[in-house]
This record gives sequence, structure tokens and C-alpha cells, in this order.
Amino acid sequence: MKHWQARIGPAPAQEPSTVPHLDRRNALNLTAAALVAPSLSLADGPIRLRDLYDRNGGFSPLARDHKGQRVEIAGYMAPPLKANAWFFVLTKMPMAVCPFCETEAEWPEDILAVYTKRQVKPVPFNVKIKTRGILAFGALRDPETGFLSLIRLVDATYG
Amino acid sequence: MFQKITAALVGLTYTTALAHELSQASNEWFASGQAALQAALAKQVNTNTARNMIILISDGNGVGTNYASRLWAGQQAGGYGEDHVQAHEAFPNLALVKTYNTNAQTPDSAGTGTAMMSGIKTKAGIVGMNANVNRGDCATIAGNTVATMNEIMAAAGKATGVVSTARITHATPASAYSHSVDRNFEARVPKGCTQQADIATQLIEAMKAGTIAVAMGGGRRNFLGKDLTDEEGKSGRRAEGENLIAAAQANGIAYVWDQATFEALPLDGTPVLGLFEASHMKYEADRSDEPSLAEMTAAAIKMLQGNYAGFFLQVEAGRVDHANHGGNLARVVRDQKAFADAVAMADALTDDADTLIVVTADHEHAIAFNGYCGRGSDILGLCMGINSAGVEHTGKPVTASDDKPYTVAGYLNGAGSVLREDMNWAGVRPPLTQEEATDLDYVQQALIPRSSETHSGEDVAIYAKGPWAHLFDGTIEQNVIFHVMLHAATAN
Repeated sequence: MKHWQARIGPAPAQEPSTVPHLDRRNALNLTAAALVAPSLSLADGPIRLRDLYDRNGGFSPLARDHKGQRVEIAGYMAPPLKANAWFFVLTKMPMAVCPFCETEAEWPEDILAVYTKRQVKPVPFNVKIKTRGILAFGALRDPETGFLSLIRLVDATYG
Repeated sequence: MFQKITAALVGLTYTTALAHELSQASNEWFASGQAALQAALAKQVNTNTARNMIILISDGNGVGTNYASRLWAGQQAGGYGEDHVQAHEAFPNLALVKTYNTNAQTPDSAGTGTAMMSGIKTKAGIVGMNANVNRGDCATIAGNTVATMNEIMAAAGKATGVVSTARITHATPASAYSHSVDRNFEARVPKGCTQQADIATQLIEAMKAGTIAVAMGGGRRNFLGKDLTDEEGKSGRRAEGENLIAAAQANGIAYVWDQATFEALPLDGTPVLGLFEASHMKYEADRSDEPSLAEMTAAAIKMLQGNYAGFFLQVEAGRVDHANHGGNLARVVRDQKAFADAVAMADALTDDADTLIVVTADHEHAIAFNGYCGRGSDILGLCMGINSAGVEHTGKPVTASDDKPYTVAGYLNGAGSVLREDMNWAGVRPPLTQEEATDLDYVQQALIPRSSETHSGEDVAIYAKGPWAHLFDGTIEQNVIFHVMLHAATAN
């Protein structure tokens, strides 16, 4: 599996839809939902990325409870998959390439796609960042990179 | 002889009497020191033949990493940590090991595994072959393969096994049963390489031949074609159509892949292949629906104990190394605790009279420790001040010249580097709290920027008990481990 073909989240029940770019209509709907839903995590501090998943690789109750809400999640920006991208992958720890662990670069299982408001300006992979966006679910394959995500932040900012 | 014994007894009596006359004789440390002396004096060598042998290797658990794990385990048990004793640290025999490969001051697990399992040092990246080969070059293989301890013991009638939390085709477990000019030939060899099979194929062939009776670990994907998916929906890495798991089952080898099938595995002598993850097994901190290293060790021993001529077993904690590579000490110590539990399990299930147990590491990492920290400072957390009026630390973090606190443990290099690419590799240490430093996902600060933290060439330790364990003494070359084990198995 090439690293850009990695899947984020549990296995999809069916083949994901392929969209040309971030589904703006869904993003707008999610934004509207966020306006009426309190942003609990912003008050409580960032959500830890690992808390979005349960021990079996499924989504946690905390993740499901925050569906459609604007949340803040801390982590690290993996090296962008392509230049001038509008999304990046958030990892809970720096995306290390370990030649003694793996024969090729591999994604960990508990990662998060982040679709951004503005074109991504890369941050070094080992500098901790906080991302803020609307938590969305459902299979989505990025047409340019082939990157498949089942959970993501949309309309996101970071810093 | 009688005179020597009498003289020794007189000397002992005099020493004990003198010790008890000293003003510090009532001090608890003095008393425990005297107890340790008596235990050392009571040591006896065991020159029985080793019917059984178990080598437990914690990958990357050098003296420094082992120190961190000792403190963490002790602190989890409610103590300060420094005085904690891990299972292997209670073993009576100890040596230090020089781990370098023939061409590498800083070793890798393939070369070190070959040293321990075949008795010769070789090049980095090479498994079960001598240093005449060039890594990755199949044309250099002819005449350069070497026998492994599992092969030798199986030929002598012993049942053998290999257990790891890494992929079972990874370097250390591979050194038990395979011969590969490159450790990365786990699922396939380069086009035109006809001199060897890939490592997964070699394992199945070894199991079919009876050389390996039990093999458990991760790495399911290396046994399946890329057109196949495993029980958890993950794709294989082999050529399309290949299914080594089915081939194993067709040859009478039982296959288990999760906790439920593991708990139902046969203990009647049927060979067992356990593959619990597509790649490495999970870190102990994240483990779910798969057996612990102690559980796998117990199952393997119970399976192998049925063999009338005894057994040889290699057990590896493969992910201590991986967490170190990630600079994530929180997972290092948890996997090392799981390793120490496996050591205790192996010890409990065997008899010192006929079983040699060797506990060691293959290499150390670039881990280091700061000072000056007070007693009981959380080994994962901040270095707290020394309490001059008491025992436990002051609870106040020690600060560096930049007025920021720092953790007890750090790494010389790795992803935790404080030097930043976007600052022209200048650096400023980020602020740090105890809560952040003790988080499971925290990456310790490091100096030199590298994507993956490195091994180091620093010595590792051997802890041993059982027949001929006293031969582990002083500072030895790593390949000597094989020779002591072979002597123990064949003495008398």
C-alpha cells in the first residue's frame, strides 16, 4: 500500500464516494450545525487524537458525540502529500520514518485528515500544532492523492 | 580441602562479627547489604546439562532503557522506583555485552540476532549468514549460510519455537530460523534472486520440516498475496495468489490469529503458527484482542515442554525498540514491563535445575538521563529537585539555564529534536508541564534532528540463571551467548 493510499479510520462498509474537492455543500451544512452546537472541546482544551478511536480501531463515543461540532484537536502535521494542498494528515506523534521498524513508510491507524480553509502552509512534522474544525464522518477519497479518509476535520484552521 | 573450608568459615564469621560491631550496623541499608553478601556467598554453580533453554531478548533494551523501565515499574507499584527489581534483575549471573556488527559500530538487530543465534558476528542487515556476503546481493550467498540455534537444537531432538511482538519475519525472530542476505526480504526477494527464499517462506518450510514447532507474533501480511485480505481486512504483501497460511494449515500446522483462537490453540504437540496482526503486534499500551508476550511465552513453553528431549525457545519483545525509535518513552517502559512479565512467566514455568534462561537485549538506543533529580521523580516526567531534608523529591521542577524544566529522560537524536527546520535548524526548547511530559503520546526532547531515533553501540546486559549460567561473566562479545548456550545444552 502506498502511503498516499492509506485509509483513515475503520474499514468502510462500502466503496467511498470520490469527490473532486472537499464537499463544500456538506461542509456548509456542518458549519451550520456547528453554529447551533456548543464547542465543548474548545472550552475543555484540545481533544487528544487518540481519544477519537477506541482500542479496536473503531470511533470512540467521544468522537461520535462531537460529530458535526467544531472541535480543537492537538497533534502533528505529517509531511504534506502534495504541494499546494488543501488538506493534511494530523498524527498523534511525529510521523517518523523508521527503517528498522518498517520496510517502507506506513501510516499509523489513529490519524485524522484535516481539510483546511486555506491552502496548507507546511509545519515541520515534529512541531506540535492545534487544529480547529468541524468533525465529519464518512468515506471520502481525495481525487488528486487517492487518500481515503473516514473521519476528518473540515473548514479547519491550525497553528 | 577441609582446611580451606575451615579458613573460609573463620573468615566469614570474623567478617560478620566485625560488620555487626560497626556503628552503622543497625542501618537498614547496612542490613540489606549484609543480606546481599550472604546471598552471594551462598551462590552455587549449576553444571547440569540444560535440557531446556530460553533466550528472552528485549529489542533495544540496553542498560539505560532497562533503567528507565525499572523505575517506571517500581513507580507503578507505588514505590519511588529506583530500588525496584525487575524479574530478570534477580537472576544470579550477569555480564555486559559488546553488540557491534562486523561493519557497524552501531549495530542492527539482524547482525546482533545472528551473533546470538549462530555464534558469529556478521554485517548489519544480514540474517543467518556470515560477513562474506554483501547486504542485498544474492550472488554472494553461496557457501556463506550459517546454522541457527533452533536448527542445531532441532537436529538434536529438541522442540524449538520463536515468539515475538514484532512481525515474526522481523530481524530478531528471523535469526532463529532463516538465512537472508537482507533483513527486508520478509515477503519477497528481488527479481533474479534464486539463491534464497523470502523469510516468511523459510519459516513455513522450517515448520513443515519440524525445525520450528511454534511461531507466534505479528506479520500476517507477509504470508498472504496482495490480492488477499486477512481476517481484519488488511491486504497481503506477497505475490498474487500466494497464501502461506493456507499452505501451513494444509500441512497440519494449526493457525491462530486473535485472542479467542489463541486461547483455543492445541497443546498436544501440533505445530502452531500464530499471526496476530498484519504488521507488528500492538504496543502493550494499545493492546486489544491479542495475547500479551507473557501469555504467548507461557503457551509456547507448555507446547514445547511435551517434547521428551527438551526444548529451545527464543522470545522477543520487539516493540521496546520501536517505541524508542519514536522517542516515546511512555510506550517503551510499558512494553518492557510486559517483557519482564514474560521473563517471570518463563521462570515460573521451568526448573532452574534443568533450564537455562538467558535474558538480554540486542542493542541500546540513544537514550540518556538528566540530573540532578530527587528521589521518586517520575521517570517519564520532569526532573524534580532533591529534598535535602527528606527522601522524596521536592515536587519543584529543576530548571535549565533557559529557565524551563526538563524531563528525567531524553534522547540524543530523533523526532523530538528541539531544532526546527523552519527556523534554519536553530532551536528553542518548548515550554513543558508535568501533565504533557507524562502523557502516553509524549515524545521526549532530543537534540539532533532525525525522523527516527537511532540505536547506539553502548553495551547491553545479560541476566542468566540455570545450568552453566555462571559462564556469563565480565564483558563479552555478543556471539559468545550462542557458545555458552550450546555448551549448556551439550555438557556432560
